[in-house]
Amino acid sequence: MDLSLDLLGNALVSGLLLGGFYAAVTIGVSISFGMLDIVNIAHPAFIILGSYTAYIANSVFGFDPILASIVLLPAFYLLGVAMYHVYDVSFERRGDASIRGLAFFFGILFITEVTLVLVFGVDYRLVDAPYVGPSLHFGVIDLPLRLLVPFLVSMALIGSLQLFMSYTFIGRAIQAVAQDPMALRLMAANPSRIKRIAFGLSIASASIAGAILIIIQPVEPSIARDYIGRIFAICVMGGLGSFSGTVVAAMILGVMESLTSTFYGPSWSPAVAFGFLLITLAVRPSGLFGRS
Amino acid sequence: MSWRLILAASLSITGLDAGYGAVRILHDVTLSVAEGETVALLGTNGNGKSTLMKSVMGMVRPSAGSIVATIDGVRHELIGMSTEAIVDLGIGFVPEGRRLFPRLTVTENLLMGAFRKKARPDIQKNIAFCFEVFPRLAERRKQLAGSMSGGEQQMLALARALMSAPRLLLIDEPSVGLAPLLVARTIDKIKELKDSFQLAVLMAEQNFTQAIRIADRGYVIVHGHIEFEGGSAAELNDNDLIRQFYLGA
Repeated sequence: MDLSLDLLGNALVSGLLLGGFYAAVTIGVSISFGMLDIVNIAHPAFIILGSYTAYIANSVFGFDPILASIVLLPAFYLLGVAMYHVYDVSFERRGDASIRGLAFFFGILFITEVTLVLVFGVDYRLVDAPYVGPSLHFGVIDLPLRLLVPFLVSMALIGSLQLFMSYTFIGRAIQAVAQDPMALRLMAANPSRIKRIAFGLSIASASIAGAILIIIQPVEPSIARDYIGRIFAICVMGGLGSFSGTVVAAMILGVMESLTSTFYGPSWSPAVAFGFLLITLAVRPSGLFGRS
Repeated sequence: MSWRLILAASLSITGLDAGYGAVRILHDVTLSVAEGETVALLGTNGNGKSTLMKSVMGMVRPSAGSIVATIDGVRHELIGMSTEAIVDLGIGFVPEGRRLFPRLTVTENLLMGAFRKKARPDIQKNIAFCFEVFPRLAERRKQLAGSMSGGEQQMLALARALMSAPRLLLIDEPSVGLAPLLVARTIDKIKELKDSFQLAVLMAEQNFTQAIRIADRGYVIVHGHIEFEGGSAAELNDNDLIRQFYLGA
């Protein structure tokens, strides 16, 4: 009995920490898919790119991976801005963004993945930092720093994005742009510029998400694909465009996966998680925190 | 008379032709709004009122003519400018169908209105003013715009346009979809706002009797032509052409 209570407590805690990490990998999609209606299926590939840049900074130059990912934010932002520009000119302005846009991002996903394979090979890569090994202990509960630090970084990332979205003019315009681009023009804002900034922020978040991914687990190029389903599931379950919804949905998914793999075995966890997504959408079609 | 400098905003449209693709809607339209004036653009559905408004706002590209806005003594040719640049000059627009951001709250919609850089220093003052004029909006400030009634949405659309601190305000069909009592109230509010903000107003409206209550002058547009120009509300009221063409009496 005691043993299973311990297990339960630890499963809950690590599920919450895992959820915090899921929130960080999803937040970029909450911006691009949730706020801009851009199905950026390549987002996980940019997260893996973020993992590899953090890996190089760490293994070659000896930098802290999280610090490196913060320094690299402007580079990822510009990459996002450039990518949105291509997408805007090639698809959105011609009005056939949905299916062709999806194909475009699929292409980006595979090109990024193959490039990473060619450059780094398919070996798993790790980073080294003081918080990768040790754990804190509170009674029977273990708090591995390898999960706790990413959790805190993730919350800081999402908190600052939320402040930006709520309290700046550009942030509010980002929330408004998909609702009515023409009305946004009547507010003296250029929708293309607003979307460009938003998409830049979305890709910038992948730098930090990538760094914390490689802290949590070893990374090789193709694991991007493992995250696509989870990321979009969390985004939809939380309610499109809602950051707090994303965090709550990510935590629920993290806890469900952790509980299922502790008590029933890891192979069941995706089934339980996606089952929960279906139930959520059946009860609340606009997601947990969706504004409808 | 230093206040004259403050309200110096006017609009002058000359020989305007505009349409969609091969369909020409407006034929040689000439119209002006002088400083501090409220001008009504009268006409039933499908005569080109909205096309004229959209041409001024850069949402429809005219094929001939000129649209000149003079703001603080500076002349701006609006044809060829983007909508956002036109709004940035200080020309506000309340579009037909209101075009609110349905999934933003009332306050967020108002703050969006103040996106224009020149409007930002006065945000607190202007929001307080909007809530004073439209107490309903103050009560519902945290409600999503899409969940409000038509009348409340029209109020919010007006208030949002005012948040950009415009000098010239274009209003397309403020009465559409509103109950008769609300139409009168909306028209009164437009008058009140115009006086407080010292705006020049161009208002497209099918509701003739309501529109001329607050208009200084008016134009009647029929099939894309200006058929009659009334120098005063009384002149519009007494005109036979209006009865014949417009009121169908």
